[in-house]
Amino acid sequence: LDETEVSEAALVRDILYACQGIDGRYVRYDKAGDAYDLPDGVRVPRSTRTLVRKLCELGWLFRKVRGFISDNISRSPSDAATEVGTVAQAFCSALQEELSDYYKLLAVLESYSLNPIPTPGSDSGVSGNYLSLRRLAVWLAEPAVRMRLMAVLVDGCRGLRGGAMAGAIHGHAQHGDPMFQEFMGRLLRRVCSPLFEMVRSWVLEGELEDVFSEFFIIGQPVKAESLWREGYLIQSDMLPAFISPVLAQRILRTGKSINFLRVCCDDSGWADAASEAAAYVGTTTSRGGLGYGETDALEALVVEAAKRIDRHLMDVIHKRYRFKDHCLAIKRYLLLGQGDFVQYLMDVVGPELSEPANRISSFQLAGLLETAIRASNAQYDDRDILDRIKVKMMDHGDGDRGWDVFSLEYDARVPLDTVFTASVMKMYLKVFNFLWKLKRVDHSLTGVWKTMKPNCIVSSPFYKEGTSIRAQFVSVLRKCQVLFNEMNHFVTNFQYYIMFEVLEVSWARFSDEMDAAKDLDDLLLAHDKYLNSILEKALLGERSQGLLRNLFELFDIILQFRSHADRWFERIYELQLRGKGKPKSKSKESGSWLDGGRKAMIQLAGELFRKMGEDLDSIAKDYTTSLDAFITQLPMQQHVDLKFLLFRLDFTEYYSRVSSSK
Amino acid sequence: EVKAAAAAQAPGSKPFSLASTESVIGSYAVSVQAAAIIAMQELLVIDDLLSALVGIEGRYISIKRVRGKEGYVVFQVDSSMDLALQELTRRIFPLCEDYVLVSQFVESRSHFKNGLVNHALAAALRAFLLDYQAMVAQLEHQFRLGRLSVQGLWFFCQRMMSSLNALAVLVEKATSNNTSGSATLNLLQSQAKAMGGDSAVRSLLEKMTEYASAAYLRMLERWVYEGVIDDPYGEFFIAENKSLQKESLTQDYDAKYWQQRYSLKEGIPSFLTNVAAMILTTGKYLNVMRECGHNVQVSFSENSKLMSFGSNHQYLECIKSAYDFASGELLTLMKDKYDLIGKLRSLKRYLLLDQGDFLVHFMDIAQEELTKKPEDISAEKLQSLLDIALRSTAAASDPTHEELICCVERGSLLKKLATLKDLDCACPADKLAAADVDQSMQLSITGLETFCLSNKVQWPLSLVISRKALTKYQLIFRLLFHCKHVSRQLCAAWQIQQVFRSVKILGTPILRSSILCRSMLKFVNSLIHYLTFEVLEPNWHLMHDRLQTARSIDEVIQIHDFFLQKCLKECLLLSPELLVKVEKLKALCLQYATSIQLLLPSIDVAHSENTSKSLKSRSRINKSQDRDQQLKLASENVMSESILKFEAAFNSELQSLAPTLSNSSHAEPYLTHLAQCILGVRIDQ
Repeated sequence: LDETEVSEAALVRDILYACQGIDGRYVRYDKAGDAYDLPDGVRVPRSTRTLVRKLCELGWLFRKVRGFISDNISRSPSDAATEVGTVAQAFCSALQEELSDYYKLLAVLESYSLNPIPTPGSDSGVSGNYLSLRRLAVWLAEPAVRMRLMAVLVDGCRGLRGGAMAGAIHGHAQHGDPMFQEFMGRLLRRVCSPLFEMVRSWVLEGELEDVFSEFFIIGQPVKAESLWREGYLIQSDMLPAFISPVLAQRILRTGKSINFLRVCCDDSGWADAASEAAAYVGTTTSRGGLGYGETDALEALVVEAAKRIDRHLMDVIHKRYRFKDHCLAIKRYLLLGQGDFVQYLMDVVGPELSEPANRISSFQLAGLLETAIRASNAQYDDRDILDRIKVKMMDHGDGDRGWDVFSLEYDARVPLDTVFTASVMKMYLKVFNFLWKLKRVDHSLTGVWKTMKPNCIVSSPFYKEGTSIRAQFVSVLRKCQVLFNEMNHFVTNFQYYIMFEVLEVSWARFSDEMDAAKDLDDLLLAHDKYLNSILEKALLGERSQGLLRNLFELFDIILQFRSHADRWFERIYELQLRGKGKPKSKSKESGSWLDGGRKAMIQLAGELFRKMGEDLDSIAKDYTTSLDAFITQLPMQQHVDLKFLLFRLDFTEYYSRVSSSK
Repeated sequence: EVKAAAAAQAPGSKPFSLASTESVIGSYAVSVQAAAIIAMQELLVIDDLLSALVGIEGRYISIKRVRGKEGYVVFQVDSSMDLALQELTRRIFPLCEDYVLVSQFVESRSHFKNGLVNHALAAALRAFLLDYQAMVAQLEHQFRLGRLSVQGLWFFCQRMMSSLNALAVLVEKATSNNTSGSATLNLLQSQAKAMGGDSAVRSLLEKMTEYASAAYLRMLERWVYEGVIDDPYGEFFIAENKSLQKESLTQDYDAKYWQQRYSLKEGIPSFLTNVAAMILTTGKYLNVMRECGHNVQVSFSENSKLMSFGSNHQYLECIKSAYDFASGELLTLMKDKYDLIGKLRSLKRYLLLDQGDFLVHFMDIAQEELTKKPEDISAEKLQSLLDIALRSTAAASDPTHEELICCVERGSLLKKLATLKDLDCACPADKLAAADVDQSMQLSITGLETFCLSNKVQWPLSLVISRKALTKYQLIFRLLFHCKHVSRQLCAAWQIQQVFRSVKILGTPILRSSILCRSMLKFVNSLIHYLTFEVLEPNWHLMHDRLQTARSIDEVIQIHDFFLQKCLKECLLLSPELLVKVEKLKALCLQYATSIQLLLPSIDVAHSENTSKSLKSRSRINKSQDRDQQLKLASENVMSESILKFEAAFNSELQSLAPTLSNSSHAEPYLTHLAQCILGVRIDQ
């Protein structure tokens, strides 16, 4: 033992210092080796040196942990406040607490080390409480394990903050060692308490108490109408693993609901709902009611709060803001569900809209709209709703007619503009334009029918004329009738399809879902689905562009037919008038002149009929080609309901026979 | 020390030599010196040994790594030492080596990636090593007090020696196989069994097992009581295949979801091998309920906590009761909330034609569409016709009728049967026969042969009524539907013949034809009777009764499958040779019905013209009457010929059915019923 320069007691004392990160007399921190070691100059036995090295690992670990703590805490307070965040603070304080236990142990050991170590052979009565290196090893074995774990955590958390830090620590909690588990549980309860506090205040009060942006929900300053959709987002990297994404979504929505109620609806009834929920779950609404490891409690709280607050929100939306009434109003006025109103509006504004777009005054149209409302059953509707219907003129180009630019608009105010956002209204506008066009085509076809009413024609003087002109007349008229019927069949069925298969079915489904909706997201989803199904089925979707183009072609042809028909029948009436005027003039004028007049008239009529026949043929041909294209494209659509449309249009299998015979 | 001194005294000393006192004194001095050296050596060796016991080299003791074996070390003692000391020291070395081995294992297995079981084992080992280190410290204390010799050290170490050795063996095996999870548990158990003789070691190992399995049992607990796999390191013996969605049950013929969503992995811990299947199903049931949004709360008591898997088998009781709870709960859920029986009843109603009034209506209005080729049929149109039929008949009062869907398959029933390989029916020869018939029938196939109904089945009922089960229902439906069709056609033919009731038909082909028509009708009707009243009804009632007493959902699935399989079998769908014959008979009936419907009107016209003319203008034009007569004769000839042909074909085909039926009726008793129904004979006579 004489080779030892240094007494064991001195080494023990040094190690105890080293374990607190302090250089002792012999044991010093060696920067090159990044470890505590005995300098080479000190002569000690090999085993002692090894043992000292092993024991000093604890000191190295301690340095690391303490370095982390001091990095995070011991800065200048203002600086730390911006940098560290509450989670890191909690983490550090938890570590600090662990370290204070460790200090306590070291103090006890220190006091033991003061008792002299007996040397071999000296048989003096020594107390049991002395400290040799080997005894120290036994004492420090467990703290070393714990310190190593802390060092691992410290390494894992470097550079992280907030929820991410909690998540990283949680990631290390999955360990089978009971001691680890107990330690990590203690630590995580401390670390997560700020997070849980944030969740609690968010869920129950809608407050985002997040100074250091550690929370997994971030708020953005937005306008009231997009508060719901964009106001708050989940930051997935701040979402610790012990909160499932589903739960996170629910947490987000609950707080969002509160904020929505507060900002957009100006409502304060949610506070009762929140406190009720908290009372139900059993936690107080005060701070610190939740902790790590009680995920069930958290989930129960969130679920209850969400349930109640969402119910309240739905109540407000439905009762105070009468969501359903507005949807119905939109359906009735913008989607042309109120037939008499539409009919009247079409009658009133029709002439106006035939003018070029730039000569139409929207004030006048607004007046006409008001007239239409007054004249139809719409007048019994709520004034508040009627006030929101407005005429909108779209941007117009050079050759546009009033028909192309006219549209109706519905003014959804806060908070309903969360549902009826600008883009949603744009879609409604698209549907309206489509329906308006369809209605117009229908209307003009009815117009054709009116002009060629059978009684006008039966009274025609041409029946009394010569057979050739009469045959010509009859054949032209028949062609006209046939074409009209064909078009009418198409338009009626198409309109039936749009009105009943598309609008009503979608509405019925939407109405069910609206009643079943438990929160605003459900409602938004249901509404989106409603609108999308209308767009999709009414051929306004992306995939049916070609079909829509065909359809518009058909519409154009029909409108063309109408204008032609108007002209023809005007001429026919003219001729008829001349024919009628005949007996009157007969008495006054000479017969030969009259004969000449009659002949001229017949000639004119013959000319007209020939022209009319040609035009009819060409229109019919165009129409058949377009319809053909439309019908052949129809089965290629994915949507099942469109197949129903086909089967309805082609119920007698006339078109399929025609196409197969070709 | 006394012993050491005595040992030191022995060499080279001559104690009883009087002549050389000096030398004696000298030798004494030498020996005293030697003894002192040896005593010193012993002290040093003890100090070294105390270091070596915790794996640290000393002055005389050094550590050598073993080449080629990672982590293995060998202790060596300096050869300059006293031999006896060397020998004694060497004896202690195994303990030191074991310690090094075990402590290395503890270090390496505490890393996160090694899994919970290894963590727990390492923790238990660490606790043991801490005891051991404390012992070393105690020995050091004794040494400092001067009360410890190498012999004493050897003695004190004895207690530890066998325990640590057993652990070292264990650790060695674990390291070489790199075990984790259940493999570690298995290893621990088998080691404990292997060390059965040494009770101390055995109890130590059992304790280790208990510690190590604590984490595993917690996982098991969560699975059995909550249906959650909480397994961060992939140690649990149940694997989840997240790619299988429950929605796939309605499309996937093999019902992979139920079989493969959760499955047993390799390496089930040996103490759970017997109950692994039960554990798997328990969790599966819980998961089904969770997927339904039904929150299950297992009544959790201290008693049901899975503490350990000692010899008392408390854990088996727990698992059993958890299983009973889960299966009972799920069954009640299925039966009460999702109305399984009601669904089955509605399936029976529509697909097995329990109440068929809608079908008559449907066949009336859809006849035209159904007689087209399968490719040309518009399923949408059929669907809307079906809706009309459903809403205008008694089915309208049944809320489940909205779940019916029309579908039109491409191939014939036989072809479909041939493609379904797992119905354990057809041997290849039969398939060939089926294909043979197909060749001729393929061309004339219409929607009537291929039409079938389907049903929307919601989760979780799709567990019981899977795609496969539904396909079986459809097979039976197609058979029944076609039989009904044949029967209707024959009825129509019979109706036409009723015109001649007022006329004397004795001796004419019409008489023959109506007799044939009768026998065909009898055949088809008794076939339908057999299928419905002899097969479907009794079997359904049997199933219904058995379902009432079923105790778990697996049992329900099994009963339901059994029912379907039995129905398929007794409906002849699994015996192709019979089915081919029946199909042929039906085809004959159909051909007959159509030809009658074509031929009879011509006779009818001739007949009525003849009678009217004979009344009105008997004397007017004899010639034309003759021509009529001829015409009538000619058409009657054609008819009687064809009827004779039909009759012969039908009878021979029917007769050929008899031997087939009687041959196999011993093995399949239900065929006796069929023979009775169709042929009207008792086969055993």
